[in-house]
Parts: sequence; structure tokens; C-alpha cells
Amino acid sequence: MLQVLIQGLLLSGLYALIAVGFTLIFSVGRVLNLAYGAYLLIGGYAYFYFAQTLGMPKFAGVLMAGIFGCVLGLLKFQLIVKPLKGNHVAIEISTLILAVFLQSTVIFVFGDSSKILLPIIPGVERVAGAAIPFSNLFAAIASWIILLSLWWFVRSTHMGRAMQAVSMDAKGAAISGVDANRVNMFTWGLSGALGAIAGVFFASYTQLYPGMWVAPLIIAVAVVIVGGIGSIIGTLIVAHIVGFLEILTSAYIAPELRGVFTMLLIIVILVWRPSGLFGREEL
Amino acid sequence: MNLRWHHFALWALFIVGMFALPQFVSNGTLRTMIFANFLAIFAISWDTLSGRTGYISFGHPFLIGIGAYTTAILTHRFDFPVEISIPIAVIATMVGGLIVLLPALRIKGSYFALVTLAMMELVYQLVQVVRPDLTGGTRGMSGLPTLTRGAANGYYMSVSLMLAIALSMWLIMKTRLGTALSAIGMNEEAVSGSGLSVTKLKMTAFLMSAFIAGLGGAVYIHYLGSIAPRALFDINFVFTIIVAALIGGAGTTIGPIAGAFFLTFLLEYLRPWLPGAERYMVYSGLALLIYMYQPKGMWALMTQATFKSKIRP
Amino acid sequence: MTLRKILTTSAAAGLMAVAGFAGSAFADIKVGFIGSLSSDTGLSTLRGAEMAIEELNAAGGMNGEKIVLVTADTQEDVTEGVKAYEYLAETEKADFIISGSIDDVSLGWMPRMQEYQIPTLDTWTSSISIIDMVVKDPELMAPYFMNIASDEALATLYINFGADVLKKKMGWDSVVILAEDTAFGQAITGLVTEAISPVAGIEVKDTIVYDVGTVDFAPIFSKAQATGADFIYQVSSVNSQVISSQYVKLQVPMPMTGVNVSALGMEYWEDTGGAGGGISTLSPVPSVGFKLDPVSADFVKRYQAKYTSRPKMPHFNGFNAYYGLKQAMAAAAEVGGFKDAKKWSKAMEKQDLVLKLDGKMSLRYGFWGKDEVEPVTKRTYPHNARFDLTAPYDDAQPSMVVVQWKEDGSVGVVYPFEFATTEFTVPSWIKK
Repeated sequence: MLQVLIQGLLLSGLYALIAVGFTLIFSVGRVLNLAYGAYLLIGGYAYFYFAQTLGMPKFAGVLMAGIFGCVLGLLKFQLIVKPLKGNHVAIEISTLILAVFLQSTVIFVFGDSSKILLPIIPGVERVAGAAIPFSNLFAAIASWIILLSLWWFVRSTHMGRAMQAVSMDAKGAAISGVDANRVNMFTWGLSGALGAIAGVFFASYTQLYPGMWVAPLIIAVAVVIVGGIGSIIGTLIVAHIVGFLEILTSAYIAPELRGVFTMLLIIVILVWRPSGLFGREEL
Repeated sequence: MNLRWHHFALWALFIVGMFALPQFVSNGTLRTMIFANFLAIFAISWDTLSGRTGYISFGHPFLIGIGAYTTAILTHRFDFPVEISIPIAVIATMVGGLIVLLPALRIKGSYFALVTLAMMELVYQLVQVVRPDLTGGTRGMSGLPTLTRGAANGYYMSVSLMLAIALSMWLIMKTRLGTALSAIGMNEEAVSGSGLSVTKLKMTAFLMSAFIAGLGGAVYIHYLGSIAPRALFDINFVFTIIVAALIGGAGTTIGPIAGAFFLTFLLEYLRPWLPGAERYMVYSGLALLIYMYQPKGMWALMTQATFKSKIRP
Repeated sequence: MTLRKILTTSAAAGLMAVAGFAGSAFADIKVGFIGSLSSDTGLSTLRGAEMAIEELNAAGGMNGEKIVLVTADTQEDVTEGVKAYEYLAETEKADFIISGSIDDVSLGWMPRMQEYQIPTLDTWTSSISIIDMVVKDPELMAPYFMNIASDEALATLYINFGADVLKKKMGWDSVVILAEDTAFGQAITGLVTEAISPVAGIEVKDTIVYDVGTVDFAPIFSKAQATGADFIYQVSSVNSQVISSQYVKLQVPMPMTGVNVSALGMEYWEDTGGAGGGISTLSPVPSVGFKLDPVSADFVKRYQAKYTSRPKMPHFNGFNAYYGLKQAMAAAAEVGGFKDAKKWSKAMEKQDLVLKLDGKMSLRYGFWGKDEVEPVTKRTYPHNARFDLTAPYDDAQPSMVVVQWKEDGSVGVVYPFEFATTEFTVPSWIKK
């Protein structure tokens, strides 16, 4: 029992970390960024290149991953999202194309074979029959800290309130003097950096390979859709629902059905309550 | 109906040209064209639902897969003849698709896209674990009966199917039904305001789309001779279909066909230089450029160009 | 507008491509490679073939005709595989096709092989169901050869490893099978489950099937531990470095052995960032850590001088491609080319190459005869690589060996004992 609890918390923490950046874009920018998974891809490979191939310190590797993700996010906003002027369908499609473009670019540069990342923090501790690798523990704790500070940031800072304003009513925000462009730039950059850092942890949990953007995208979509747009706390809760669902399925039903319940959850929630469990009725 | 004789003349020319082609090109090119024909069919199917009504489907392989798996299972496990299994597969696609996606048709925009994406992922995972004795599990099935042998025969079969579907869709889209469907894409409220049943229209579009997807999927699988879940329920497959329709020009009949041919040949001709998956870099880069520059696709670009040259002497 | 420029450029590229195909159509003997161009295993086959062709051309080609190589990527995808085979057959008009395809891809293009009747050699697929096709329809499958021992032979010898090492030496009585949900996983699991209890006397406590996209193996390892079995038998070919590196990172206190395809290459240590110590896997021969005969050692030496990118050592299928291609050309030289596939097939069946190390048989590249019954499995393996399932392995090499990676990054063969270079051990974190 305790073992399932520990494993569930660790995996959910990772899922929460993956979903954070996606939540941010979905609630502020209001667009479904299907290239979100590509931040994780680029982040993972950037870390691999700087920390493992060039032998830079791990922290510098994570930082480089974050910078790459941030720049990618800004470019994406300037070159794709802004010119398409809020046409949701067009943004979804062009980000999907972009994701495939980035995937094939990674193949071009690094080849198709998968790579394993060294643990970011080596070491493992056993508690009640469950192994706790320090890397995973760190990812879980980091995701809680990031999500909670994001929640605080959105509520309490000037920039955060501006983000909220833009997310609720972009025109209204503009009238009251909020520079929506600046807010958007900030959001896209932050989302990219968070996605890329999540990518480092995700890749060190599993492996690094060019198709690795799909799985985290689906996790992020699941978490955000079920949680509901604009709900940071919803994201944290639902990441745990999805994570525990997966661990419980693996432990008590059948490991190969791992993802089935997550998909069912998305479909049921979308059809039955499109605004999500904790979100606003909009979009 | 807004039909002119020159439309028919163009169609006749197009059809004659397509049928005469095997006389002029190599078998290798024909093989490529067969895949282009099937991609065109899937793109037309996607366009019928998504291009016209604006309900973007990210899970189209889900529909194609029902058709493909139904006929594969019937012929491979129960020895049904292909002539019977394909019609059953088409009906199964329409009924199965409707049962599953009908509730989804009431939700809009990005949410509809996500439901279809989740649907595809769900089927991908289920098909491997539920009754693998029937579906062949992860491995899929091989040694399915093939309809034709040889490049030319395969080409005639696929091109006839593609042209028949394209011509019928073109005719249907010229009727009031087609106009109403495109109107949903522009402004759903206005359509329901004008007294038409939007639900019925969406259902019709969906059923037509499912019909084409099921038929195309079933015939495709009897051309390939094998079926594998990994190649079918794949986000890259979705990507290829959507890009073909959009690059060619969504909401038109010729657009998806042009897009499918352009992209299939682009990939094939890049082979000598970029033999691996890096080919998709050029492919997706080009697709992104075209899409960003003209979301209505190459068809719109070309008509724009001819229109401009007409007014400028 | 730049866009129009792009369109014209790509149209021009297309025309050039057409011209390119036409130009290359005058080449004499065309070998087509079908397989993944970006995986280590695919590249092994390609490079093995490249080196064989280079040598053959230096020696005057096939009956004086120059041999050229063309490639088609499958991206390990079934549909792409069918397209690639069609491309080689119809656009390139290949005379002979050498394949580095995975099982599913080979099964996908097999109907095309049957249609075109192009002599084809598979170096990587070990699917017994393809050999069954040869048994069932020898006429239609005549141009097809597979020079790697098929699944059944791999599994059979593995059971002996279970009896001789796992049971007798380690004293393990029960196993939990951890198998991936793929064609390969099902095939191997079926064969092992059937035989390991009656032959090796090891009880199968449970079989856990996992999804190849699994992110987190911790609950699966916990489940395996809960069965109380003595060791884990893993069957992993897709993403297999994920499960094994998590096994090491989580320091699962239970021994694990089995099939781990990613551990077959020299890059395994580097790829897992060192998280590969203690992992053992069965491998077709020659494997990593396998003592090579002088001819093969020379091949590896020249390979390493020629290629600087990975894989730094060819996988077993690189050797298969190198020797197999030479045999295919020798057979063609005998019957005047590849045009008559039936005649070529007859000549190919007779190809037999024996490589010796210290006066003893080390490797044998030959094929089973049509009616030759293999004594241990009591079945025929027409057009399949010749192998030997019983010590002292004097008819051919064993169908596989077991190799193990040690925690210091070295790797060696642990079974069969005749070929062993090191001993089978459990990882240091497991308390005995």
C-alpha cells in the first residue's frame, strides 16, 4: 500500500511538472499548443548535448535546456501564434506541423536511436519495498514548488494579475492598460522553459528519442483538460489522479492497460463537462 | 446547382489524363501514385468533415482503422470474400464512428479535436490488448488477400476509387447540402438561425466522411496486404492526412488531391538525398511555410495567381 | 515571392531525381538495401553489405559486372517498409535485396517479395512465422533466405542456459516473466513458458506483460518482486534500454536476465550512461564480447577504420550481411546472375562457409536443407541459417550466446561454456 503511494506520488509529480507549462499557455494564451511536447524533446536533447556530450555541469545543462525552451517558446509565439491572430484551428494545425518539423530536425542532428540520460541526482533509497531514486524525488518536489509558486505568482504579482486579465478578456485587459503582447511573450517564454526542464526530467526517467514529444503531450492534454483551463491547483490535483490511475492499473489490473483509463477519462470529461473538473466555462 | 459545362469538360480531361498515365510513366512512379491516391482519399474524407464544417478531427485514423480492421478480421479470421467484407467494413465504420463520436459532435473547436485525438490513442491501446487472437495484437496481421497484383492494376484500382469519390463529393458539394456544410464552417449560429438543423447537417458530413474513410481504409489494407496498429493509429499518419488536405486547399475537392500528390511525390523524390526520416524536415518545413503564408493552400495560391494575371494585361 | 521560388526549386529537384534514376539504371548489378537507416542495427546490415560490395568490386565484381548499392529506409514502419520494397523493385529495379528489417516490417513487405520474386536475404528478422511460410510454400518463397537463426532456435538454446546456469549453478527454481507487448515479446514468451518448466525445471510464477511506452517501471518491478520468484526473465526489444536502465537506477533487489535487444551493441554502456551493469541478454552470434575468428576479426578491424560514427562495432547482422552478400554473389556468379530466381535459389542453398578459430569451427554460414530435420526441435528450417543446439557445437555455431555487461563496463559471453569469456554473476546490490 505504502509502496503504491510512494510510486504514485513520484510519477504524479513528474506528470504535474510536464503539465505546468501547458496549463500556462492554455489558460493565458488560450491556444492548444500541440508543439508543447517539442519543448520536452528540445530540452532533453539540449541537456544531453551540453551535459553529457560536452561534459558541462548538470546544472548548466538544465539551464541550457531551459534557455533553449524559452527561446523556442518566444519564436513560436512571434512567428506562428501572433501572425495567426487567435485562429485556434490554424494554431493547432501549425503547431502540429512544427512538432513534426522539430522531431525530424532532431533525427537529422542526433540520429534516430534512443539515448539514456544519466540521473540528474544519482542515488536511490528504499522505503517499504519502494525504490525512491533521488532524481525522481527531486522532480516531484520541484513540480509542487513550481506549481504552488506559479499559483502564488498569478494571484499576487503585477505580472500574474496581468496574465489573468489577458486570459479572461484580452480586449478588456488592453483597455485597462495591460500590454497583452508583453504578457504573452512572458507566458510563452516561461512555458517553453518549464516544458524543456520537464523534458530533462522526463527523459532521465525514461529515455531520449525523437518521438518522445507525443507521450508527454498527451499527458499534458489529459491533465489540463480534466483539470480545466485556468486552474493551476486543478492541474496539480489531476496530475495526481492521472499518475495514481496509471500506477494502480499497473499494480492491480494489468500493466498493458496503463494508458487506457487516462484516455477514457479525457473522453468522458470532454463530452460530459468540457470545462473540466475545476475550470471555468469558456473557450 | 451551380454547374457549368466547362466543369465537366475539366473533369473529363482530368479523368482521361489520370487513366492514360500508366502509358507514360514507369512502374516505380505508378507505385508512388497508388499511395498518393490513397492519401488523397483519406484527405478528401478528412476534408468532408473538417475542411468544410470546421470540426477538426485529429483522430481520423480511428475511422480508417475501423474499416481496415473490420475487413482484415473478416477475411483473415473468418474467410469472408473481399466483396462482402468491404461493404460490411464501410457500414461498420459509419455505425461505429457515429456511436462513438456522436456525443462529441456537440462540443466545439479545440475540444472536438482533442476528443478525436484521445479516441485514436484509446483505440490504439485497446486494439493491442482486447482479443489479440482476432486483431493480431501489436503485430497486426499479414498475408491478407490483395485485390490486385502489379503496379498498373493497383494504379487503375486506386485511381478509379479516388476519382469516383472525388467526383461524387464534388457533385454533392455543389448541392444545397454542400453550401450548408461550408456555412457551418463559417458561422454555425447563422446556419441554425436560418432554420436548418445543424445537428443533422453535421451528422451527414460525419457519415459521408466515415463512408469514405471506411471504404478507403478497407481497400488500402487489401492493397498493402498487411495491417499493423503502429502504422495506422499514429500521430504522424494524422499529420500526413491533415497536411495533404490543407496544403492542397481545404474546403475544395481538387485541393486534397493536389496536396496528396504533391506531398507523396515530394517525399519520394527526396529519397536519393535524404534517405531517412530527415526527409520529413523538408516536408514539414515546406508545409509550415505554405500554411503560414496561405492557410487556404496551394489551390488558393494558384487561383490567386491566375486571377491576378487575368486582371493585369 | 519566395514561396514560388520554393515550389520551382522543389519541382526542379523532382526532375533531377527522375534524371538521377534514369542515369543509375545502367548500372550492372544492383543491390538494394531495405532497413532502418538511422538505427544501429539497420546501419550494421548496410555497412556489412557496403564492405562486401567494395571487396567484390575490387576483385572484379560479379562475373565482371560492377556491383552498386542503393538504399531505401523503412523507418521501422510497416507501411514505409512496403513503399521501400516497391521503390527498390520498381524504381531502382534491384537485382538482389538485402534486408535489415525488424520482424513486423519483413512480414509487411513479404507479399511484395512473393510478387516480384527478387532474391532477398534477411539478416535481422528471426521470425519463425516467415520460415513457416518457406515450409508451406517453397515455390513462392524460393528467392527468400534468412541467415540468422530463427526464434525457435534462440529460445531452445536459452532454455539450456536456464538448466545449466540459472538452475544448476545459481540454484534458482522459479521465474517471473516480464515481457513487452509486441510480436517478438509474444513469440519468445510463448516458447520460453512452454519449455522452461519441463526442460529446465524452473517454475513460471507469473507472466507480466508491459506496454512498450511505459514511463515508469517501478510498479512493475514491485509486482514482479511480490510473486516471490527467484529471478526475472525479461523479453524486451523495443525501448529495452528503458526497462534495463530503470532496473539499474532503482537497484531492484532481484536478479534479471533474458532478452534485451539494446544490450546487443557496443554502445550500450555509453547509451545508458553506465546504467547497464549486471544486464544480461541472449544474442545471436557473433555477439559483443564474442571471440572472433581471424577473418571476422579482420572484417571488424577494417570496419572500424572505415566508419567513424556509431555503431562502432557491427552487430551480428553486420556479419550476416557481409558474409551473406558474398554468398549471394557467389551463387549468382554460378548461375549467371539473379535473373532466374529459382536457379539462384538452388545455388544459394548450397553456399557454405566455415570460419575456424584455433583449428576449431567458430562460425558457419550455411543454410538448412529443405528436408533436413533439426534433431532437438524436431522440425525443418529451410532457407534459415544453419545452427547447432547441442554441445560441443561442431556442426555450426550455437543459435545464440548469453552475454552479460559487468558493472565496470566490460562485457563478455557467459554461455555456452565452450564460448564463455566470463562468468554469470548477479549485480552487487543484490544480497545473496
